[in-house]
Amino acid sequence: MTDGVRFPLGSRVRARTIDPDHHTRLPRYLRGHTGEVVAAAAPEPLPDDVARGRAEPRVETVYAVRFHGSELWGSDPASSHTVIADLWECYLEEAR
Amino acid sequence: MSRVHDVGGQTGFGPVDPGDAAEPAQFGADWEAHVFAVQRILLRRGVFTGDEMRDAIESIPPERYLAAAYFERWLEALEVLVERKGVA
Repeated sequence: MTDGVRFPLGSRVRARTIDPDHHTRLPRYLRGHTGEVVAAAAPEPLPDDVARGRAEPRVETVYAVRFHGSELWGSDPASSHTVIADLWECYLEEAR
Repeated sequence: MSRVHDVGGQTGFGPVDPGDAAEPAQFGADWEAHVFAVQRILLRRGVFTGDEMRDAIESIPPERYLAAAYFERWLEALEVLVERKGVA
């Protein structure tokens, strides 16, 4: 259980490089990449725990994180190509 | 352990055909509609959660996952879940 919002709007965050052997909502193509928090939504049960049938899943803030296409696919840095993903707090770490 | 379903962000599949938004989606066959209906009933009755369903689909071995149609994956996941939950 996480109280409050750990990453305020505008924070630079990195999607953790994890490789779980169960369902997760952190897609592989985002892992290890850095984006910016553009919204924080009300806490939701963590799908990784729900998928494993845990009676008391962790409940965490879900962040909308914007990644630039150049960060993910090497797109032209000048292009406006971005992806926004909804990511649970434990998927993220502070980017330095 | 990366799973076979996780192809989001991959390139090289060509453009996505979004279909005609004015046309309602159709099942390919009656059995697909039956699988869909059974899944919805079991979900509503709380036999399993949507995340457990997703996990069951993603756990299908790659060789079967890749050869299976969309609702064939649903059917295999349902078979696994009803047995696991003791309602088979």
